[in-house]
Amino acid sequence: MTGPRFGYGTNGFANHRLGDALRLLADLGYEGVALTLDHQHLDPFSPTLAADVAALAKDLDRLGLAVVVETGARYLLDPWHKHAPTLLHADSEPRLDLLAAAIDIAADLGAEAVSFWSGVRPPDVPEDVAWDRLVAGCARLVEAATKVRVPLGFELEPGMLVADLDGFDRLRARLGDPEFFGLTLDVGHCRCVEPASVPDCVRRAGPHLVNVQIDDMRRDVHEHLGFGEGEIDFPPVLAALDEVGYRGLVAVELPRHSHAAPDTARRSLTFLRGAAWQADAVARITADPTAIRALFPVARRRCGPEVADDVRVGLLAALPPDVLADEITSLYRFGDPAEKRAVLRALSVLPVGDLGLPLVRDALRTNDSTLVTAALGPYGSAGLDAPAYRQGVLKCVFMGIPLAEIGALRVDDELRRMLRAFADERVAAGRPVPADVPMVLAGEA
Amino acid sequence: MRVFDPHVHMSSRTTDDYRAMRAAGVRAVVEPAFWQGQPRTSVGSFVDYFDSLLGWEPFRAAQFGVRHHCAIALNPKEANDPRCLDVLDLLPRYLAKDGVVAVGEVGYDSMTPEEDRVFAAQLELAVEAALPVLVHTPHRDKAEGTKRTLDVVRESGIAPDLVVVDHLNELTVAVVADSGCWMGFSIYPDTKMDERRMVAVLREHGTERMLVNSAADWGSSDPLKAVKTGHAMLAAGFTADDVDKVLWRNPAEFYGKSGRLDLSEVDVDPNAGFQGSSVRRGQG
Repeated sequence: MTGPRFGYGTNGFANHRLGDALRLLADLGYEGVALTLDHQHLDPFSPTLAADVAALAKDLDRLGLAVVVETGARYLLDPWHKHAPTLLHADSEPRLDLLAAAIDIAADLGAEAVSFWSGVRPPDVPEDVAWDRLVAGCARLVEAATKVRVPLGFELEPGMLVADLDGFDRLRARLGDPEFFGLTLDVGHCRCVEPASVPDCVRRAGPHLVNVQIDDMRRDVHEHLGFGEGEIDFPPVLAALDEVGYRGLVAVELPRHSHAAPDTARRSLTFLRGAAWQADAVARITADPTAIRALFPVARRRCGPEVADDVRVGLLAALPPDVLADEITSLYRFGDPAEKRAVLRALSVLPVGDLGLPLVRDALRTNDSTLVTAALGPYGSAGLDAPAYRQGVLKCVFMGIPLAEIGALRVDDELRRMLRAFADERVAAGRPVPADVPMVLAGEA
Repeated sequence: MRVFDPHVHMSSRTTDDYRAMRAAGVRAVVEPAFWQGQPRTSVGSFVDYFDSLLGWEPFRAAQFGVRHHCAIALNPKEANDPRCLDVLDLLPRYLAKDGVVAVGEVGYDSMTPEEDRVFAAQLELAVEAALPVLVHTPHRDKAEGTKRTLDVVRESGIAPDLVVVDHLNELTVAVVADSGCWMGFSIYPDTKMDERRMVAVLREHGTERMLVNSAADWGSSDPLKAVKTGHAMLAAGFTADDVDKVLWRNPAEFYGKSGRLDLSEVDVDPNAGFQGSSVRRGQG
C-alpha cells in the first residue's frame, strides 16, 4: 500500500484567509487541498482573477500542495437562495458560467479535478425536465473539460437529483460515457444513502473515481461529522481505495467545523494516518500472520492512545483461525499492560473457544485494575467456571472496581454469601462497604 | 543544568539515587539492557527483565520526575550462552515497543565467533526496526575490539550516525570519530574514564557526536558522574551552552532518531501506581 494522499477542504476554513489556511494545512502535513471557489477564497468573479490564480498556483507549488477545485459555495451566485441557480433551473447560465470558469481555473492551477453536483430539483420542475437540463448542462461542461484535459468529478449529494451511484451510472450512460466525466465520492454520503457497505461503494465507484472527500456520517442523516463521531469503519475504506488503484486526493470535508478549523484539521490527519496505518497493518498480517508480533505494540504510537485498543482488536481480527490461539497467547505473554488489555477485550469477538481462558485467569491474578476489569468482560464472564468467576467479582469489589464496568453479573447464592461475608468483615473493621455490595445483595445489580 | 544520562542501569539503583539525580539536574535517562552480575540461565529471565525496563522502571523513574527510556538487546557477555540465544527471536517484538529508543548493549566481550554472529544479527534487527544502536566495547583488548566493532558496523550497512560506540577512552576515541559514529564515554569513580580526562577529550575532539554517561549499575559506580562532568567542563572554561549540548542536546538528538523519545517534563503523581504496585511504603 503506497498510502493515501490526504487533503483538506478549504470550505472547512471559511474564517481563515486562503493563504493562511494553505500554510497551516501544509505545516500540519496535508498533501493537498480541495479548494471551494467562494467570495473570500479565490473569487471567480474577481476583476483580478488572472493574477489571483497565478499567485495561488505559485503558493501551492511552494507549499507542495496538490489541488482539486470544488464548486459547492452556498451564496456565490444568488445572495438570497443557497446554491441557486443549479443546472436544474430554467436559467442555469450563471451556474454554467461559474463551472466553465472553474474548469479554466483548474487548468491554470494544474488541478487534479473539478467537482460539481446536480442540485436539488426545484419543486416546480418535473423530474424528466430536470434530467434533460442536467444532461444538457453536463454535456457542455464535458466539452470544456475535455478541451483543457481536466477531469470532471460529478459529486453525489444526498437530497439532490443525483444522490447515489445508480444515478451516476444513469447520468454517465446518457452522456455517452465520456472520458473526462468522472466521479467525486464523498465517503460519508455513502454511509448516509447507499445500500451497499462503504468499501463496496468505493469498489463500485473505482473505475470512475477522480476525487474523494472523506468525513464520518450516520445512516440517513446528512451531517458531516468529525472522525469517530459517526458509523464508518475507515481502515477498510482506505484499503478499498488502494485496491481500486485510486491515487488522487482524499480530502477531509468538514464545512461546518470552520470555527475550530486548525484543531479539527490536526485531529483529522492524526486519525486518518492512523486508519491508513491500520489498513496497511491488516494487509501485512493477512499476508503473513507473524507480522502482528511487531505491529501490535506499534498501534498506540501510530494511531494514538484513544483508539489503540480498537485498532489492536482490529489487528487480531485479521489473524487466520489456525494460528489465532498461539498468537494471542504470546502477544499477551510479551505484551505491556495496554497490549494485554487489548487482547483480553478482543476475546469476545475472536473465534478462540476456550483457549483464551488461561489469559483471563492470568489477568485475574494481577493487581492491575484495568486487566482485572477487562478479564471480566463478556468473554471471561461467560467462560469462567463459577468459583473463578465469583472470586473475580469479589476481587473487583475488593479493589474498588465499580461492578457496572464489568457488565451483566452472574449472581448466585454463593456469590451473595461471599459478598455478605466481605461486607460483614468491613463493618467489623469499621471500614466503609462499597456501594455495589448492598446493591447486589438487594438484587439491584 | 539539564542532564540526559544516555547510559545508566537504574534497575540496580535506589530511590535515593533517583532523588539525588533529579535534584542535580538529571531529567532523562536511557537504560540499556545488560547482564546482571551473575549469568541468566533462561530466555524467561530476559523477558521479565525487558518487561521491567518497559514497565516498572519507567514508572519508578517518573515518581522522581525522571523520564526513562530503554535499549533492548542480548548483551555480548550472555551472547556466548546457548541457553540465552533464543531471546533473539523475541527481540523484534520488544524492539517495536514505545519505550524502546535503541538496540543495546550489543558488541564484543571476549570477541568470540558467537559474539560475532549475535552482534551482526542485532545490527540487522536495528536496521529493520529503524532504531539507533548502543555498542559496548570490551574491557580487555579495547583498541582491537573497537576496530573490529567498527568493521562489523560498516559491514552491516547501518548509517554510522545511528550508532554510538561506548566506553571509549583517549586511545580509542580517534578511530570512532573518523568512522562517523557517535562517541560514548562512561565516567566511573575509580577506574576507566574520570571527569578530568573527559574534559581533556572534549577539549581535543570537540563536542560534536559526544555522549557522556555514568553507566552506573550494581557495581561501584556513581549515577551523578554525568552531572559532575558538566561541572568539570564549566570549571575548565567550557560554556553553559557547551555543557547543554554534550549532556542534553546530543543524547536527545541521538536517541531522537528512534522517533519515540519523549522528553516532556514528567507530571509527578505521587498517588500513581503501576499494575497495582507503588513505590510508597507503609502509606498505601
